Amino acid sequence: MTRELKFKNPSFAERIKGMLGVDFYRLFHTPMFYIFLAIAAIIPAMVSAMTMMPDQNGNTMEPLYSNVWQIIAASEPLYVINTIADYANMNMVFIFGGIMVSIFIGHDYKSGYVKQLFTTHAKKQDYMISKSLTCAFAMACMCITYLIGGTVGGLLVGYETTVNVGSLIIAILSKMIMSLGWASLYTFLNIIFRRYFGISIASSFFFGTGVLIIGVAAIVENLGVPTWFLNIFLYGSSVNACLISNVGTLIICTVVSVAWAVFYNVLGTRILSKSDVY
Amino acid sequence: MNAVEIKNLSKNFGPKQAVCGLDMTVPMGSIYGFIGENGSGKSTTEKMICGLIPTSGGSIKLYGKDYTDIDVRASLGVLIESPGCFPGLTVFDNMMLQAANLSIPNAEQEVVKVLKMVRMEGAAGNKYKNCSLGMKQRVGIAMALLGNPTLLVLDEPLNGLDADGMRIMREVFTDIIKDGKRSIIVSSHLLGELQKVATHYGIIRHGKMICEMTADELDASCRTYIALQTGDMNRTKMLLGCKYSRVEEDEAGYIRVYDLTTPEDVVTYLYENGITVTEIMTDKIGLEEYYIDLMKGGK
Repeated sequence: MTRELKFKNPSFAERIKGMLGVDFYRLFHTPMFYIFLAIAAIIPAMVSAMTMMPDQNGNTMEPLYSNVWQIIAASEPLYVINTIADYANMNMVFIFGGIMVSIFIGHDYKSGYVKQLFTTHAKKQDYMISKSLTCAFAMACMCITYLIGGTVGGLLVGYETTVNVGSLIIAILSKMIMSLGWASLYTFLNIIFRRYFGISIASSFFFGTGVLIIGVAAIVENLGVPTWFLNIFLYGSSVNACLISNVGTLIICTVVSVAWAVFYNVLGTRILSKSDVY
Repeated sequence: MNAVEIKNLSKNFGPKQAVCGLDMTVPMGSIYGFIGENGSGKSTTEKMICGLIPTSGGSIKLYGKDYTDIDVRASLGVLIESPGCFPGLTVFDNMMLQAANLSIPNAEQEVVKVLKMVRMEGAAGNKYKNCSLGMKQRVGIAMALLGNPTLLVLDEPLNGLDADGMRIMREVFTDIIKDGKRSIIVSSHLLGELQKVATHYGIIRHGKMICEMTADELDASCRTYIALQTGDMNRTKMLLGCKYSRVEEDEAGYIRVYDLTTPEDVVTYLYENGITVTEIMTDKIGLEEYYIDLMKGGK
């Protein structure tokens, strides 16, 4: 009697559907996601409220912002920051988001889930894609709660509300689109430092703050060189999405975000393919 | 066709050679007991079979196909170190997630089926983090069984199981291979338990396969011995030690005389020396003793 074995060959669509299903299920069924959504909402509200609090002598601080929407996006693309107000806007979501991605991916390795995954049919590329998309979605959701928290906080403080609505919507959409590039960067960093959870978080935080680009921008400005080229970086494009944004900004953000996402996914896949799974 | 065929496999971690020139054959329909001391290269070999770590050299074929072939990889079930469950989710949810990853149709039915196989259906609603070590181990095995895999790779699956759990696992393993198409690689330090189910053995040392055999071959290779008790054990031991090459006292308090099949000579010899035998039996050494002998170079 001949013993025949038939092996199934799951398609890319089947594989990615399964993985995305798992990742989204995990995202919605763990408290971490909701905690980070809450953090994203509370931080801008707190920053606004702090400006109204009197100090020991009864004096209140000079308001950080003059307009509610500056909590969401800067008035203009400021690559080199002068005040905390230039920096503290929706881009902060990408810092918290980095920490969230580190925890999310860290659990994959800690629990041994990746071993199950990579032993069976999951390709390394599927893993990168699934994590990047899930985390991008999570960060985009954080952008929305940040918007809600920032708007409510700003309105309560009594900031002005005058704004070019079209530019504001484009800025918000652009930042949400940038989530994909950022999520891919963090997924990549967590692949590199997969054995060292602390370093994963620290590196995500470091890149999320954009200090590298801020440093480059400072040098470039001193040299009198145009700064537009900084938009090819994730942080640059995120800063470029401001209250004077137009359709061009949205297109640039989309292209930059997708390009970096592809770059990090390809690189991450290569690294994963050549390295051990612990 | 063999389930697994490994030729000249090697793996280096920097200057350290974890596996060197390993050959291994796991026949279809077998339970392959993979034995070796800690750090001998068992887990590394299993991880290479599962594609979790790249090889440094050699070849691995699963059912005649290269181990990187995605078709054949989809038919693997694995439990290596930890089952890959998320602690905050229930056992059932964790199983459903794995079923989704494997694109299993009728996932719910399949999950219930494998949970019943490992007698965990009653704990399906428990959060994974609240499960005992034995329960976690059963969940891990259930996870590996999802999707009806043709090859199961189980690293220390019997750890933490109670006597009933071990019996259940033996039944599960035997049931899996009965159609002759599926195979299981089990590494375990519980050699007594392994011997009850394994049909083939592979013994690895310092990253090299030192011996591969069937259960029948092992049985034929195992030394026979006579175990006895007398009224004067110390004198008996001394007397037997003078006449026979290997005499030892076992943990149960019996004196063992190896490589003898007929007890008459021993009884007569002791009787002539004024010692009465109160209890005597013949037996064979088990896998555990065979393995210890082999490691000591005694076999």
